Amino acid sequence: MEISALQSAHHHALAAAGRFRLPLRSRVWRGQAGEFTGGGTGSSMDFQDHRSYSPGDDPRHINWQAFARTGSYTMKLFREEVRPVIDLILDVSESMFVDPIKANRTAELFYFIVATCQSSGASVALHAVRGDAWETLDPALIPSHQWLKKSRTLPAADPSKPPDLSRLPLRANAIRIFLSDLLFSADPQPILRHLGQRHGTVILFSPFLESEARPVWSGNYEFIDPEKNTRHPHRIEPSTLRRYHEAYDHHFALWKQAAVQSQTALARIPAEPDLITTLYQNALPVGALESL
Amino acid sequence: MLSNPLGLFALLGIPAVLAIHFLQRKAIELPTSTLFLLERTQRETIRGRRLDRLIPSIPLWMQILAVLLLTWILVEPRYPKSQSVQRIAVVVDSSASMSVFKNDAINRFAAELPDLQGPASAIELTVLESAPNRPRIYAGSSVDAFRAAFEKWQPRDGVLDPSESLRLARSLVSREGIVVFLTDTPRSTLPFESRLLSVGEPIENVGITGISFAYEQGTIVWRASVKNYGTQPADRTWSLQTATGSTEMRPIHLEPGSLITLQSAFPADSTQLRIVLSGDRFPLDDTFPFVKPQPKPLAIFASRTPALTDLQQKLLRSLDSTGSTTDPAAADLTLLSQNPSIPLGSTGNALVFLADDEKSTPYLRGAIVAEAHPLVDDLNWQSLLVRESQEIPRQPSDQVLLWQEKRPLIFLRETAATKSRPQARQLFFNFDFTRSNLGNQPAFIVLLHRFAETVRAAKIAPTSENLETGQPLRLASTPGQPIEISQTDPAGKILATAEIPSFENFHAPLNPGFLTAAQNGQTLLTAAVHFADTREADFSGCGTANDLAVSNQSLTRTHTRPDPLWQIWVFLLIAALLIAWKFSSPKSSPLITDH
Repeated sequence: MEISALQSAHHHALAAAGRFRLPLRSRVWRGQAGEFTGGGTGSSMDFQDHRSYSPGDDPRHINWQAFARTGSYTMKLFREEVRPVIDLILDVSESMFVDPIKANRTAELFYFIVATCQSSGASVALHAVRGDAWETLDPALIPSHQWLKKSRTLPAADPSKPPDLSRLPLRANAIRIFLSDLLFSADPQPILRHLGQRHGTVILFSPFLESEARPVWSGNYEFIDPEKNTRHPHRIEPSTLRRYHEAYDHHFALWKQAAVQSQTALARIPAEPDLITTLYQNALPVGALESL
Repeated sequence: MLSNPLGLFALLGIPAVLAIHFLQRKAIELPTSTLFLLERTQRETIRGRRLDRLIPSIPLWMQILAVLLLTWILVEPRYPKSQSVQRIAVVVDSSASMSVFKNDAINRFAAELPDLQGPASAIELTVLESAPNRPRIYAGSSVDAFRAAFEKWQPRDGVLDPSESLRLARSLVSREGIVVFLTDTPRSTLPFESRLLSVGEPIENVGITGISFAYEQGTIVWRASVKNYGTQPADRTWSLQTATGSTEMRPIHLEPGSLITLQSAFPADSTQLRIVLSGDRFPLDDTFPFVKPQPKPLAIFASRTPALTDLQQKLLRSLDSTGSTTDPAAADLTLLSQNPSIPLGSTGNALVFLADDEKSTPYLRGAIVAEAHPLVDDLNWQSLLVRESQEIPRQPSDQVLLWQEKRPLIFLRETAATKSRPQARQLFFNFDFTRSNLGNQPAFIVLLHRFAETVRAAKIAPTSENLETGQPLRLASTPGQPIEISQTDPAGKILATAEIPSFENFHAPLNPGFLTAAQNGQTLLTAAVHFADTREADFSGCGTANDLAVSNQSLTRTHTRPDPLWQIWVFLLIAALLIAWKFSSPKSSPLITDH
């Protein structure tokens, strides 16, 4: 993608970030101080409870009025305010960028997620995955739009393999957002199970093309595998196309089934409509986003 | 009728169109990220199919229709005109070698006739010989009658230039007709837009090339040459046959191209002989009839002067069949000396020499010029030295043959026949030949021989000759009296008899054999006729060639009319192409169009 296209996608993403946010408030966070109510007590202004003083407690939170009344140290407990932790995993396989429309949508979603994370003060870790290769991206690459160039040069031994998430340094209690078209041949359950480890919350954003979902193929084709850049001649007849549709539907039915089982929000985002419209239609209903 | 058969190549457009629809319709290159789904669902699609299923569609049918229409237009169909006639003139090589291949020629040409007829509804066939001035072999439209006439015809001529007959054939069939030269020897070019059909082949042949005679020890000895024209050694047998018997067959061996001579004394009891070789495919030169040659006798009388007597003796020695006579009336040729002051009396054929007693006159000066005359053609007189002398008075009708300056040296006087005496010729030597070097001049000897032979030819007397087939024959005969001609084959069987008014335009028969000519019961000629053109016996140049397949567009146009509906076909072609184009515009597919 050209820089201009990335800039355009960035603008669209920022516009969308003004309409939607990640569902950060729907869960209890633990971690560094931030804007979101934590699961424990903290230093926010929100009163939570009282308890007896224990050595080591912060003396600033002793309820002196209660001590005056009761003579015992009572601690005022306030709700903890923490920063959300978000691990954004970007699938940078060739299939994500095989089509300009799809590549644009991928970039928009990436920018959108990063923008919403930043607007919510979350701690974001960006990971790019391509087959068995991965790399942590510097957030500073986002404004300069160099992230794509850097991530696309990942040296994968076999780029056609499913993304290997096992080696990613996923943080505990993080929201793990996996931005991938999920077009690889793998059982979704182990992937989702791995993403959900260590109290992780998983959200899947899966951009797709209508021409992938419902292609209009007929006759002989020489399909080019974008991952390996190999050519595969195929003869497409109506029956073949029908079976392809069934296989496509079955593939994502498995992902949806696995997402339901693992309480994962799976948002399949069509690439053709504009970003806000498609996020409203496809991400909000499944809980992958919240409207502001 | 297709005037442009090459247009049928346009039909290749049909397999091309089908191939476009059958074969991979330009396999679309398409990057796709769902290949694993595709390969999971169908194994049979891997590698695809080379052949696409033919899906009937409007563009397909329109394209096929367009190809058919284009083919129809390109082949330029023409329809035969009713009652059109293709005129074909065949000039058949009448050389003798064609006798070997005559049957092949008939069959080959008959097989070619349908193609030659082409779109015409009928043919008009004229068959001529290559020898000019011969009657037509056949003229008509029936192939069977043509075959029958052709089978009867016998080629017996020597090597001939067919140009005259080809010219006649072209004039017979006009520009639109076809002229075919049917021969056994291929030629590179033929005049008058003639087409060649050659049916010959090199064959082995051994034949008798000719015969010569010599007098040895009082008898006539014949010598015949036999040649092997082939490329392989040949073993043959030969015998000498008479009307009553035959010698034993004797073997001869001939290497390729070699020539051997057979010889024998002429049997005293036979006048007609024939040499017979064991047969081969060309029998014409395997039998050689011949007779003992006997020229007409010539009686020579000379005046009693030493010079003329000596000249008479020389003539007697050098001319065949001559004799001296002392009776001037019985002489066929008289040698006279004439005194210019004394007129020459009535005489027959004579050589007249000037008698002049003047001794010391100077030599004549000036250029010696000969007139154009058969007696002096090609003779050199420049070394002739004659002295001044008196002159023999000339008559206005005399024809001077040789001049020196303005003086006639030799002139010819011809006397027409009268009731009392036949035609006569006198050759005058208008100088004293005894005081000249005339006797040493070769031209003089040749002139005497020529004159003597003209005298002999004009004499009506029996003669025996060996003639070649078809040879023109000029024989003196009594005017107004019919001449009976009897022709026999080599074995003596009478083939034909005929009466002719004279020997004017008479030719020896074309078939070998014997011939006699008689007038008023007197045999004028006893002859043997043999085939003598040895070029015909050599078949090494024979071969096959066929130029009949040369297309002739003008003939096609002559016998056919063009397709009257061609404008409609052009319109339909354009319409089919437009419809095909309309229905074959590509259907948009986002995935395809982007890549």
